[in-house]
Amino acid sequence: MNTGNVMKNRELEKRTKRIFDESVSALDAATLSKLTQARYKALEQLEKNSAITSRSRWIPACAVAVGAFVVMVFWQGQPPGVSEVQTFDVVALSDLEILLGDEELDMIQELEFYAWLDEQAEIVPADGTEGGVG
Amino acid sequence: MALAALKQPACLLREEGKLGSKIEMDAFLRDVQTRAYRITLASVRDADEALDIVQDAMISLVRKYSARPVEEWRPLFYRILKNRTLDWQRRGIVRGRVMSFFGGQEGEGYDPVARATGPSSENPVETVARSDAMDALENALADLPGRQREAFMLRNLEGLNVSETATAMGCSEGSVKTHYSRAVHRLRGLLGEHL
Repeated sequence: MNTGNVMKNRELEKRTKRIFDESVSALDAATLSKLTQARYKALEQLEKNSAITSRSRWIPACAVAVGAFVVMVFWQGQPPGVSEVQTFDVVALSDLEILLGDEELDMIQELEFYAWLDEQAEIVPADGTEGGVG
Repeated sequence: MALAALKQPACLLREEGKLGSKIEMDAFLRDVQTRAYRITLASVRDADEALDIVQDAMISLVRKYSARPVEEWRPLFYRILKNRTLDWQRRGIVRGRVMSFFGGQEGEGYDPVARATGPSSENPVETVARSDAMDALENALADLPGRQREAFMLRNLEGLNVSETATAMGCSEGSVKTHYSRAVHRLRGLLGEHL
Protein backbone atom coordinates (compact mmCIF):
# COMPACT_ATOMS: atom_id res chain seq x y z
CA MET A 1 0.00 0.00 0.00
CA ASN A 2 1.46 3.39 -0.96
CA THR A 3 1.88 6.33 1.39
CA GLY A 4 -0.96 8.28 -0.26
CA ASN A 5 -3.44 5.53 0.50
CA VAL A 6 -2.22 5.23 4.06
CA MET A 7 -2.65 8.96 4.53
CA LYS A 8 -6.16 8.87 3.09
CA ASN A 9 -7.07 5.97 5.33
CA ARG A 10 -5.77 7.80 8.40
CA GLU A 11 -7.76 10.85 7.39
CA LEU A 12 -10.95 8.81 7.02
CA GLU A 13 -10.39 7.19 10.43
CA LYS A 14 -9.88 10.57 12.09
CA ARG A 15 -12.89 12.22 10.49
CA THR A 16 -15.31 9.37 11.09
CA LYS A 17 -14.14 9.18 14.71
CA ARG A 18 -14.68 12.92 15.12
CA ILE A 19 -18.20 12.73 13.64
CA PHE A 20 -19.05 9.83 15.92
CA ASP A 21 -17.62 11.53 19.04
CA GLU A 22 -19.58 14.70 18.30
CA SER A 23 -22.81 12.76 17.89
CA VAL A 24 -22.13 11.01 21.21
CA SER A 25 -21.55 14.27 23.05
CA ALA A 26 -24.69 15.77 21.47
CA LEU A 27 -27.04 13.14 22.90
CA ASP A 28 -30.14 14.76 24.38
CA ALA A 29 -30.88 14.87 28.10
CA ALA A 30 -33.81 12.44 27.86
CA THR A 31 -31.64 9.75 26.29
CA LEU A 32 -28.85 10.31 28.82
CA SER A 33 -31.38 9.99 31.62
CA LYS A 34 -32.69 6.70 30.19
CA LEU A 35 -29.14 5.40 29.89
CA THR A 36 -28.47 6.30 33.52
CA GLN A 37 -31.61 4.43 34.57
CA ALA A 38 -30.48 1.44 32.51
CA ARG A 39 -27.11 1.55 34.29
CA TYR A 40 -28.75 1.61 37.72
CA LYS A 41 -30.94 -1.32 36.74
CA ALA A 42 -27.85 -3.26 35.70
CA LEU A 43 -26.06 -2.40 38.96
CA GLU A 44 -29.03 -3.76 40.92
CA GLN A 45 -28.09 -7.13 39.46
CA LEU A 46 -24.70 -6.83 41.15
CA GLU A 47 -26.41 -6.67 44.57
CA LYS A 48 -28.66 -9.60 43.66
CA ASN A 49 -25.61 -11.55 42.51
CA SER A 50 -23.80 -11.03 45.82
CA ALA A 51 -26.93 -12.00 47.80
CA ILE A 52 -27.26 -15.21 45.79
CA THR A 53 -23.54 -15.97 46.18
CA SER A 54 -23.62 -15.52 49.96
CA ARG A 55 -26.71 -17.76 50.20
CA SER A 56 -25.26 -20.38 47.88
CA ARG A 57 -22.24 -20.76 50.22
CA TRP A 58 -24.56 -22.48 52.74
CA ILE A 59 -26.13 -24.87 50.23
CA PRO A 60 -23.43 -27.60 50.37
CA ALA A 61 -23.27 -27.48 54.17
CA CYS A 62 -27.08 -27.74 54.44
CA ALA A 63 -27.16 -30.62 51.95
CA VAL A 64 -24.54 -32.56 53.95
CA ALA A 65 -26.39 -31.92 57.22
CA VAL A 66 -29.74 -33.07 55.80
CA GLY A 67 -28.12 -36.16 54.27
CA ALA A 68 -26.45 -37.06 57.58
CA PHE A 69 -29.75 -36.59 59.44
CA VAL A 70 -31.65 -38.87 57.02
CA VAL A 71 -28.96 -41.56 57.31
CA MET A 72 -29.06 -41.38 61.13
CA VAL A 73 -32.86 -41.70 61.19
CA PHE A 74 -32.86 -44.79 58.98
CA TRP A 75 -29.87 -46.36 60.68
CA GLN A 76 -31.17 -46.02 64.26
CA GLY A 77 -34.77 -46.84 63.39
CA GLN A 78 -34.20 -50.61 63.16
CA PRO A 79 -31.96 -53.22 64.84
CA PRO A 80 -28.60 -53.87 63.28
CA GLY A 81 -28.55 -56.54 60.60
CA VAL A 82 -32.28 -56.36 59.91
CA SER A 83 -33.31 -54.74 56.72
CA GLU A 84 -36.74 -53.32 55.92
CA VAL A 85 -37.46 -56.17 53.51
CA GLN A 86 -36.62 -58.75 56.13
CA THR A 87 -38.96 -57.09 58.69
CA PHE A 88 -41.78 -57.17 56.21
CA ASP A 89 -41.17 -60.90 55.51
CA VAL A 90 -41.24 -61.80 59.23
CA VAL A 91 -44.56 -59.98 59.82
CA ALA A 92 -46.15 -61.54 56.75
CA LEU A 93 -45.06 -65.05 57.79
CA SER A 94 -46.46 -64.73 61.35
CA ASP A 95 -49.85 -63.70 59.93
CA LEU A 96 -49.75 -66.66 57.61
CA GLU A 97 -49.09 -69.05 60.51
CA ILE A 98 -52.19 -67.80 62.36
CA LEU A 99 -54.36 -68.08 59.30
CA LEU A 100 -53.17 -71.58 58.46
CA GLY A 101 -53.01 -72.86 62.07
CA ASP A 102 -55.27 -75.54 63.60
CA GLU A 103 -56.74 -73.11 66.20
CA GLU A 104 -60.34 -72.30 65.73
CA LEU A 105 -61.17 -68.88 64.40
CA ASP A 106 -63.57 -68.28 67.36
CA MET A 107 -60.59 -68.16 69.67
CA ILE A 108 -58.86 -65.57 67.54
CA GLN A 109 -62.04 -63.47 67.47
CA GLU A 110 -62.24 -63.52 71.32
CA LEU A 111 -58.74 -62.16 71.82
CA GLU A 112 -59.96 -59.52 74.26
CA PHE A 113 -61.37 -62.20 76.57
CA TYR A 114 -58.09 -64.13 76.55
CA ALA A 115 -56.14 -60.97 77.21
CA TRP A 116 -58.33 -60.27 80.27
CA LEU A 117 -57.84 -63.86 81.41
CA ASP A 118 -54.10 -63.43 81.09
CA GLU A 119 -54.19 -60.27 83.26
CA GLN A 120 -56.17 -62.06 85.96
CA ALA A 121 -53.59 -64.83 86.09
CA GLU A 122 -50.85 -62.20 86.68
CA ILE A 123 -52.85 -60.63 89.58
CA VAL A 124 -53.27 -63.95 91.44
CA PRO A 125 -50.23 -64.36 93.78
CA ALA A 126 -47.99 -67.36 93.69
CA ASP A 127 -49.62 -69.03 96.76
CA GLY A 128 -52.99 -69.18 95.04
CA THR A 129 -54.86 -66.75 97.41
CA GLU A 130 -56.27 -63.50 96.14
CA GLY A 131 -54.37 -60.50 97.47
CA GLY A 132 -55.99 -58.56 100.37
CA VAL A 133 -58.84 -61.00 100.89
CA GLY A 134 -59.11 -63.39 103.72
CA MET B 1 -2.94 0.36 53.97
CA ALA B 2 -2.27 -3.39 53.95
CA LEU B 3 -1.81 -3.43 57.73
CA ALA B 4 -5.02 -1.49 58.22
CA ALA B 5 -6.83 -4.01 56.03
CA LEU B 6 -5.44 -6.89 58.09
CA LYS B 7 -6.81 -5.35 61.28
CA GLN B 8 -10.35 -5.12 59.87
CA PRO B 9 -12.86 -7.92 60.44
CA ALA B 10 -13.48 -10.25 57.48
CA CYS B 11 -17.10 -9.16 57.04
CA LEU B 12 -16.03 -5.51 56.69
CA LEU B 13 -13.43 -6.43 54.06
CA ARG B 14 -16.07 -8.38 52.15
CA GLU B 15 -18.38 -5.38 52.21
CA GLU B 16 -15.55 -3.17 50.94
CA GLY B 17 -14.84 -5.66 48.14
CA LYS B 18 -18.45 -5.57 47.05
CA LEU B 19 -18.47 -1.79 47.20
CA GLY B 20 -15.23 -1.63 45.21
CA SER B 21 -16.54 -3.84 42.46
CA LYS B 22 -19.78 -1.86 42.34
CA ILE B 23 -17.87 1.41 42.01
CA GLU B 24 -15.68 -0.07 39.26
CA MET B 25 -18.65 -1.51 37.40
CA ASP B 26 -20.53 1.78 37.71
CA ALA B 27 -17.53 3.68 36.32
CA PHE B 28 -17.15 1.21 33.48
CA LEU B 29 -20.82 1.33 32.48
CA ARG B 30 -20.85 5.12 32.77
CA ASP B 31 -17.84 5.23 30.45
CA VAL B 32 -19.31 2.99 27.75
CA GLN B 33 -23.05 3.67 27.94
CA THR B 34 -23.32 6.66 25.59
CA ARG B 35 -20.92 5.28 22.98
CA ALA B 36 -22.56 1.86 23.17
CA TYR B 37 -25.94 3.48 22.66
CA ARG B 38 -24.73 5.54 19.69
CA ILE B 39 -23.06 2.57 18.04
CA THR B 40 -26.17 0.44 18.54
CA LEU B 41 -28.37 3.21 17.21
CA ALA B 42 -26.23 3.30 14.08
CA SER B 43 -26.97 -0.41 13.60
CA VAL B 44 -30.66 -0.64 14.52
CA ARG B 45 -31.83 2.92 13.64
CA ASP B 46 -34.41 2.89 16.42
CA ALA B 47 -33.80 4.87 19.63
CA ASP B 48 -36.02 2.76 21.93
CA GLU B 49 -34.68 -0.52 20.59
CA ALA B 50 -31.11 0.75 20.94
CA LEU B 51 -31.77 1.67 24.59
CA ASP B 52 -33.28 -1.75 25.28
CA ILE B 53 -30.35 -3.53 23.67
CA VAL B 54 -27.79 -1.50 25.64
CA GLN B 55 -29.67 -2.12 28.89
CA ASP B 56 -29.85 -5.86 28.18
CA ALA B 57 -26.12 -5.93 27.46
CA MET B 58 -25.34 -4.05 30.69
CA ILE B 59 -27.49 -6.40 32.77
CA SER B 60 -26.00 -9.46 31.10
CA LEU B 61 -22.45 -8.24 31.73
CA VAL B 62 -23.15 -7.56 35.40
CA ARG B 63 -25.01 -10.82 35.90
CA LYS B 64 -22.52 -13.11 34.19
CA TYR B 65 -19.14 -11.44 34.12
CA SER B 66 -18.89 -8.99 37.03
CA ALA B 67 -16.50 -11.39 38.78
CA ARG B 68 -14.10 -11.36 35.81
CA PRO B 69 -11.07 -9.02 35.77
CA VAL B 70 -11.95 -5.42 34.96
CA GLU B 71 -9.77 -5.35 31.82
CA GLU B 72 -11.94 -8.11 30.30
CA TRP B 73 -15.18 -6.19 30.72
CA ARG B 74 -14.88 -3.99 27.64
CA PRO B 75 -14.47 -6.73 24.99
CA LEU B 76 -17.02 -8.90 26.79
CA PHE B 77 -19.52 -6.06 26.90
CA TYR B 78 -19.14 -5.32 23.21
CA ARG B 79 -19.45 -9.00 22.40
CA ILE B 80 -22.74 -9.16 24.30
CA LEU B 81 -23.87 -5.95 22.62
CA LYS B 82 -23.02 -7.33 19.20
CA ASN B 83 -24.94 -10.56 19.89
CA ARG B 84 -27.96 -8.65 21.19
CA THR B 85 -27.93 -6.44 18.09
CA LEU B 86 -27.71 -9.47 15.82
CA ASP B 87 -30.61 -11.12 17.69
CA TRP B 88 -32.66 -7.96 17.22
CA GLN B 89 -31.86 -7.85 13.50
CA ARG B 90 -32.80 -11.53 13.07
CA ARG B 91 -36.08 -10.97 14.92
CA GLY B 92 -36.74 -7.99 12.65
CA ILE B 93 -36.25 -10.15 9.56
CA VAL B 94 -38.66 -12.78 10.87
CA ARG B 95 -41.16 -10.08 11.93
CA GLY B 96 -40.94 -8.47 8.49
CA ARG B 97 -41.61 -11.79 6.79
CA VAL B 98 -44.62 -12.49 9.00
CA MET B 99 -46.02 -8.99 8.47
CA SER B 100 -45.59 -9.18 4.71
CA PHE B 101 -47.22 -12.62 4.73
CA PHE B 102 -50.31 -11.15 6.42
CA GLY B 103 -50.26 -8.07 4.18
CA GLY B 104 -49.49 -5.57 6.97
CA GLN B 105 -46.71 -3.03 7.35
CA GLU B 106 -44.09 -3.20 10.03
CA GLY B 107 -44.10 0.56 10.49
CA GLU B 108 -47.75 0.74 11.53
CA GLY B 109 -48.24 2.56 14.78
CA TYR B 110 -45.07 4.63 14.33
CA ASP B 111 -45.39 7.90 16.16
CA PRO B 112 -42.79 10.45 15.00
CA VAL B 113 -43.66 12.91 17.80
CA ALA B 114 -43.14 10.30 20.50
CA ARG B 115 -39.84 9.29 18.96
CA ALA B 116 -38.54 12.80 18.44
CA THR B 117 -35.49 13.77 20.52
CA GLY B 118 -35.72 16.60 23.04
CA PRO B 119 -34.82 20.22 22.28
CA SER B 120 -31.16 21.11 22.16
CA SER B 121 -29.62 24.42 23.17
CA GLU B 122 -26.95 24.49 20.48
CA ASN B 123 -26.78 26.27 17.15
CA PRO B 124 -29.33 24.68 14.73
CA VAL B 125 -26.93 25.04 11.78
CA GLU B 126 -24.26 23.06 13.62
CA THR B 127 -26.84 20.48 14.65
CA VAL B 128 -27.96 19.98 11.07
CA ALA B 129 -24.40 19.79 9.76
CA ARG B 130 -23.40 17.22 12.38
CA SER B 131 -26.61 15.31 11.92
CA ASP B 132 -26.02 15.19 8.15
CA ALA B 133 -22.46 13.95 8.63
CA MET B 134 -23.58 11.29 11.08
CA ASP B 135 -26.45 10.26 8.80
CA ALA B 136 -23.98 9.89 5.93
CA LEU B 137 -21.68 7.82 8.14
CA GLU B 138 -24.58 5.64 9.35
CA ASN B 139 -25.74 5.08 5.78
CA ALA B 140 -22.24 4.16 4.67
CA LEU B 141 -21.83 1.80 7.64
CA ALA B 142 -25.18 0.20 6.80
CA ASP B 143 -23.82 -0.57 3.32
CA LEU B 144 -20.85 -2.52 4.72
CA PRO B 145 -20.98 -6.28 5.24
CA GLY B 146 -21.72 -7.10 8.89
CA ARG B 147 -18.23 -8.21 9.93
CA GLN B 148 -16.56 -5.20 8.29
CA ARG B 149 -19.03 -2.87 10.02
CA GLU B 150 -18.34 -4.50 13.39
CA ALA B 151 -14.58 -4.32 12.94
CA PHE B 152 -14.69 -0.66 11.93
CA MET B 153 -17.06 0.40 14.71
CA LEU B 154 -15.19 -1.43 17.44
CA ARG B 155 -11.67 -0.54 16.29
CA ASN B 156 -12.14 3.01 15.13
CA LEU B 157 -15.28 4.41 16.76
CA GLU B 158 -15.05 2.58 20.09
CA GLY B 159 -11.28 2.58 20.22
CA LEU B 160 -10.79 -1.11 21.08
CA ASN B 161 -7.38 -2.56 20.23
CA VAL B 162 -7.01 -5.51 17.83
CA SER B 163 -7.00 -8.11 20.61
CA GLU B 164 -10.10 -6.66 22.31
CA THR B 165 -11.89 -6.39 18.96
CA ALA B 166 -11.06 -10.03 18.22
CA THR B 167 -12.58 -11.06 21.57
CA ALA B 168 -15.65 -8.92 20.99
CA MET B 169 -16.14 -10.27 17.47
CA GLY B 170 -15.28 -13.85 18.39
CA CYS B 171 -12.63 -14.23 15.68
CA SER B 172 -8.86 -14.13 15.24
CA GLU B 173 -6.78 -10.96 15.28
CA GLY B 174 -5.84 -11.60 11.65
CA SER B 175 -9.53 -11.60 10.66
CA VAL B 176 -10.03 -8.32 12.50
CA LYS B 177 -7.21 -6.71 10.53
CA THR B 178 -8.61 -8.01 7.24
CA HIS B 179 -12.20 -6.90 7.96
CA TYR B 180 -11.00 -3.52 9.20
CA SER B 181 -8.78 -2.87 6.21
CA ARG B 182 -11.59 -3.75 3.77
CA ALA B 183 -14.05 -1.60 5.73
CA VAL B 184 -11.78 1.45 5.54
CA HIS B 185 -11.20 0.92 1.83
CA ARG B 186 -14.92 0.61 1.15
CA LEU B 187 -15.88 3.57 3.34
CA ARG B 188 -13.47 5.75 1.45
CA GLY B 189 -15.41 4.98 -1.69
CA LEU B 190 -18.79 5.49 -0.02
CA LEU B 191 -17.98 8.64 1.95
CA GLY B 192 -15.57 10.30 -0.49
CA GLU B 193 -17.52 13.49 -1.04
CA HIS B 194 -19.09 13.69 2.43
CA LEU B 195 -15.85 13.90 4.40
